[in-house]
Amino acid sequence: MAGGRRRGALEQEVLACLAAAGRPLTVADVQADLGSDLAYTTVLTALSRLHAKGALTREPAGRGYAYALSADPGAAVTARRMSRLLDAGEDRAGVLARFVADLSPEDERVLAELLAEGHRAEPGSRP
Amino acid sequence: MIVAMTFPLLVSVLLAASASRLGRRLPPATAVRLLTIAMLVTALATGFVLAVAGMLVLAQIPLVAALGHYSARVLGSGLPVPVLAGLLAAVTACGLLAAALRRAALGGRELVLAAVACRRLGPAVGGLVVVEDDEPEAYTLPGLGGRVVVSTAMLRALPADERRVLLAHESAHLARWHHLWVQAAELAAAANPLLRPAARAVRSAVERDADEVAAAEVGSRELAARALARAGLARAAAARRRAAPAAALAGADAAVADRARALLAGPPPRRRMLAGMLAALMLATGIAVLVTGVDTEARFEAAQSAYALLR
Repeated sequence: MAGGRRRGALEQEVLACLAAAGRPLTVADVQADLGSDLAYTTVLTALSRLHAKGALTREPAGRGYAYALSADPGAAVTARRMSRLLDAGEDRAGVLARFVADLSPEDERVLAELLAEGHRAEPGSRP
Repeated sequence: MIVAMTFPLLVSVLLAASASRLGRRLPPATAVRLLTIAMLVTALATGFVLAVAGMLVLAQIPLVAALGHYSARVLGSGLPVPVLAGLLAAVTACGLLAAALRRAALGGRELVLAAVACRRLGPAVGGLVVVEDDEPEAYTLPGLGGRVVVSTAMLRALPADERRVLLAHESAHLARWHHLWVQAAELAAAANPLLRPAARAVRSAVERDADEVAAAEVGSRELAARALARAGLARAAAARRRAAPAAALAGADAAVADRARALLAGPPPRRRMLAGMLAALMLATGIAVLVTGVDTEARFEAAQSAYALLR
């Protein structure tokens, strides 16, 4: 499973992890969130590289650093404009592909059941 | 020749009727490519035979024939194309060509807009742009150096392994140039409106293909299905909080529940027979076009010789 990562995937996952946390995280925090298949040094390397590229800021925490996303308000404005384009309809947004479209009530019920079954099948697998 | 000329129209109707089933039965990666290519072949063939039918009727107008130095009677011998049908074909061919050109211009504009937006988003590391937003949102912005845009609300809604599914899914759209296939399918559908259901099938297949790539990357179809479910429910919950008319677009593309079900159903079978049949149908369409072209040329040659002999 660990060998399945495409190029750039780990960097994306680290960024996503920090964005989801919404607060500065240490290397150990990130490693714990991303899963046990990643070595501490692998996570450390990814974080250092992202910091060197300016995507992350860091502050001293304990013996190491805690990392957080660098804010980019310009990107947010553009991205929000694109979202509105998506909402405007498929014809104008022919180039954009959303991860999940809006749900019908029927779909919502099916998906909720699917998640509930997952919980039952593997108890304790979700935090 | 009449059989050859009507064949592309028959194939269009056949594709229109079977596209959605083909899209679901073929493996997604095959469906994207094969359906789009079939659409382009059919659209080109339909436009060609319509144009030829129109031209053959217009060319039998005595004045046109005299100007072109050929015999109108010989040109039209044994061709039971009524004048009205021929005129209709000519007008339709022109209209469809105009629609295709318009769609091509629109598609080009969309791609340029996406490229401009990519540039505005700045040099995103790893191609990922995170937007601080309470609305769960995730999409791909295609183009050279395309971007994956995800809101913080969407990232918070998913545990780490499911975030991995989302990132893999969106990156698959970029890596596989899905937007170009969708644009090509839309172009074919503009040139031949009978193919509209096929264009929808390509859109759905593109999402399914990205789902399959993501499932393979994380090594679990169940995990991929759970990510879809949780992301979909997060969006639905947010829409309810806004009291927005949810599900306005439901069922437009691949429904999320259908995608999740397809993932849980296990790896898609290869369906070599079905793919082969579709390829054979396209080959037959190509032959029909060839026959139409060769026959039309022979007709004009015969009509020219007859004209020369009569003088």
